[in-house]
Amino acid sequence: MEKYKVIEIKKNVLANNDELAKKVREDVLSKNVFLLNLMSSPGSGKTTTLVRTIECLKKDFKIGIIEADIDSDVDALTISKSNVKVIQLHTGGMCHVDANMTKFGLEELGVEGLDLVVLENIGNLVCPASFDTGATKNVMILSVPEGDDKPLKYPKMFKIVDVLLINKIDAIDYFDFDLEAVQKRAKEINPDILVLPISAKKGDGFDPWISWLKNQLKGNR
Amino acid sequence: MHELGIVIQVVETIEKIFKEQNLTKVDKLVLEIGEASGVVPHYIEDVYPIAIEQSFLKDMKLEMIIIPAEGVCECGEIYNLMKYNGICPKCSSKKFSVTSGREFNIKEIVAY
Repeated sequence: MEKYKVIEIKKNVLANNDELAKKVREDVLSKNVFLLNLMSSPGSGKTTTLVRTIECLKKDFKIGIIEADIDSDVDALTISKSNVKVIQLHTGGMCHVDANMTKFGLEELGVEGLDLVVLENIGNLVCPASFDTGATKNVMILSVPEGDDKPLKYPKMFKIVDVLLINKIDAIDYFDFDLEAVQKRAKEINPDILVLPISAKKGDGFDPWISWLKNQLKGNR
Repeated sequence: MHELGIVIQVVETIEKIFKEQNLTKVDKLVLEIGEASGVVPHYIEDVYPIAIEQSFLKDMKLEMIIIPAEGVCECGEIYNLMKYNGICPKCSSKKFSVTSGREFNIKEIVAY
């Protein structure tokens, strides 16, 4: 009989990601870049929100966008019309962006001289919540047609974000969406969460959102 | 479904150890998976054969040890987060800090 041995490894596989995320966070901070991780379900209006946000900020700040998708460059094309630096990341079937992909995206984009980099994560409320990208702050969008029960169904996502944007608020009359209930449910999971109703299409509610972003960016300089 | 990417990371780690320690064969891999790690053991089992197929570890067996998700409540009670859905069975508070269950570890390998 062959002699065998048991090799104790005790290696935390996901810890690799946490360590790398910490490095990414320190690295962008040292370059005075504010990295925002934007998450939501597919079709909640991430790209539309982003386009309007860019319009509000591009006069005063230099912006770069990392579009992450499983496939296609539809979003990168839309964003490129805003005349900001943009690259498209393909995750090749992966349902989330991890710190390693973020690092690669930042290198490809080239962040020198930028004030704000937005990572538009894969449209998914599950997996992106489990993988730290190294972002300075995390923001999620929940749109009115998705329903007010989402904090109950995807608590982890609501727990890890700093800001919750409630998009398509202009359509609230057409849906059974209880804004107060969402705020209450989100705050039960995450007492520090900032909830801001917006309409990316019409521009409603953008003032508080833009002023939050500007404060963050000024604090980062 | 992120298990395939994770398992590939595991296999790459083992391959590295295999070379570093001049092993001839790895018989078994033991993973520790926390209930709150976001990794589904059932999917790990599904994708495992695909991940090892192309590597020289293709005969490596897989064993999984599940670590329960436990948290400590602000009242001091320690309880199973999955069983009680994050609500303290003693004082009904929803505030807790996770004490275990977020792990995803390569515990050990059995090798020749």
